[in-house]
Amino acid sequence: MKTTYTFLICFLFIYNTNSQEQYLTKNGVIKFFSSTPIEDIKAENNQVLSIIDTSTKKMAISILIKSFLFEKALMQEHFNENYLESDKFPKATFKGDILNFNKIGGLETKCDVKGIITIHGVSKEIVIPSIFTRIGNTIFVKGEFGLFLEDFSIKIPRLVVKKIAKEIKVTFELNHKPYKK
Amino acid sequence: MNKKKIITIILGIGIISLFIAYQIYNKPHVNVLDVKSDIIITADKIIDDFSSDETKANRSYLDKIIKVSGTISELKLEKQKGIITLKTNHDFGSVLCHLSDQATQKINLLKVGQTIILKGICTGFLMDVILIKSEIVNKKNLNT
Repeated sequence: MKTTYTFLICFLFIYNTNSQEQYLTKNGVIKFFSSTPIEDIKAENNQVLSIIDTSTKKMAISILIKSFLFEKALMQEHFNENYLESDKFPKATFKGDILNFNKIGGLETKCDVKGIITIHGVSKEIVIPSIFTRIGNTIFVKGEFGLFLEDFSIKIPRLVVKKIAKEIKVTFELNHKPYKK
Repeated sequence: MNKKKIITIILGIGIISLFIAYQIYNKPHVNVLDVKSDIIITADKIIDDFSSDETKANRSYLDKIIKVSGTISELKLEKQKGIITLKTNHDFGSVLCHLSDQATQKINLLKVGQTIILKGICTGFLMDVILIKSEIVNKKNLNT
């Protein structure tokens, strides 16, 4: 009986250290830019949730569309009500595998993250080139990629079509820390 | 004479509509402090609502200015912006309130464990219920 308990306690310890393999941030930053000769538009989201599981080498990101803040209130309103329809689709998500995860160390390491991105209810496969840095107990990830509005069936009215770029530039900065309950 | 009148009227309408269009284009963001909050709720109740039925909770809380009361479990500054975490009776979830620039300056006056009322715009639920542009509510302006 005693040995069973010892075994169980040992197992719990191992299990606990294993749970340290999850890294998380609740205030990652995602920004996007649309640049046309007529107008530059940018928005920022500071409430990005991102989780990295180092044992499965997977990464999951979840963001709220309404958390994007624009310089102009009217743009933010159009973005939410007409383009992204955030009442119907309040979240955008990404789930993927970190390729070459084992290479990541203290120096900036280029790693692709391959997975599925879902925006405006439309899912698409994507490879996001990212830069990983693992210092102490933090995993910092940053990168930049482009998204085409038409891939996510986001329709822009003809009247403003010249003001909004077809390809939107997205940048992200996610500083993951070990997850504690 | 008549032609002149018509031209002046058309020009007048043109100028007015341009002015209105400019006003609409530049309309300001909602000032959370000035607007009366739609909903007053405790941190426990709002997370209960979101975790039991997220779609329904989205319908009632998204984009609304909400006053949440609760106990501070964490205070932090991230890129000069204050974030207050309110404790809930759930294991994982809490209410994360991202403070406005103004409220961030007052974060040093707060302590973990203190009960507080925050007023912000609810943008939804990830692991936590998220409020942005949050302001600290004093007892004085409790009724606004």
